[in-house]
Amino acid sequence: MGMFDAFDISASALTAERMRMDVTAENLANAQTTRTADGGPYRRKEVVLQEVAKGGGFAGNLRAAMGAGSSDRPGGVEVAGIAEDSTPNKMVYDPGHPDADANGYVAMPNVDSVTEMVDLISASRAYEANVTALQSAKTMFSKTLDLLR
Amino acid sequence: MLFDTTQLALERAIEGAGKRHEALAANLANANTPGYQRVDVDFHTALAAAVGRGEDTRRALDTLSFAPTRDASAGATRADGSTVDVDAESAKLAANGLEYQAAVSVAHSRVDILRIAMGAK
Repeated sequence: MGMFDAFDISASALTAERMRMDVTAENLANAQTTRTADGGPYRRKEVVLQEVAKGGGFAGNLRAAMGAGSSDRPGGVEVAGIAEDSTPNKMVYDPGHPDADANGYVAMPNVDSVTEMVDLISASRAYEANVTALQSAKTMFSKTLDLLR
Repeated sequence: MLFDTTQLALERAIEGAGKRHEALAANLANANTPGYQRVDVDFHTALAAAVGRGEDTRRALDTLSFAPTRDASAGATRADGSTVDVDAESAKLAANGLEYQAAVSVAHSRVDILRIAMGAK
């Protein structure tokens, strides 16, 4: 039954928003990194979110197999992937830097700390909104359980 | 009295509000999903149409289903095409939660009346 679907939906959002925070933290941490395993400076990463296909997952498949309408249930959110930002690297003039090119320019990561801070706030507020939804669901269901008393 | 149409309507209202909570929670979950179109459950209209059908009310209530629908009327609130307004969704979520609790309280009171009538202290 769908009693706990609301928890799953909100929980999927908590996972997704936490992932956004993790990636933002990684971007900020590597804002000055000029060497990576792939060579070249660090590239800014971005989380791509997508709506969970309706009735997907184990519960959805089980419901479909049992003949219950699974297509009309709202899904949560999931991380579709982590994409690299394609904007060009920032070229900074610093001839003394070991990674400077022949003209004295160093390719720095395409991370803009202001953008990252805004993303961080956005993820944090979205996280809070979903926690509120979760608490609201908890209150509603415990109220229903009181019917048994 | 316990299983009359009023109690049945209350039960369906609780179910409808529960489904609506899922829809609103899904909207909040997808607040940062590009191109997401918000969903909603209009259980009020369905319930109002079912109640007040005289003899048919019970059957109408029994067969009610609350399917979430895409809200095509909502315009994009963000540059990425998402039609979710987190503030509006939160307000709807809070109101829907209270509505749910109100329906549960009334249902609870009706059960209590019956319990008292049966001599419970």
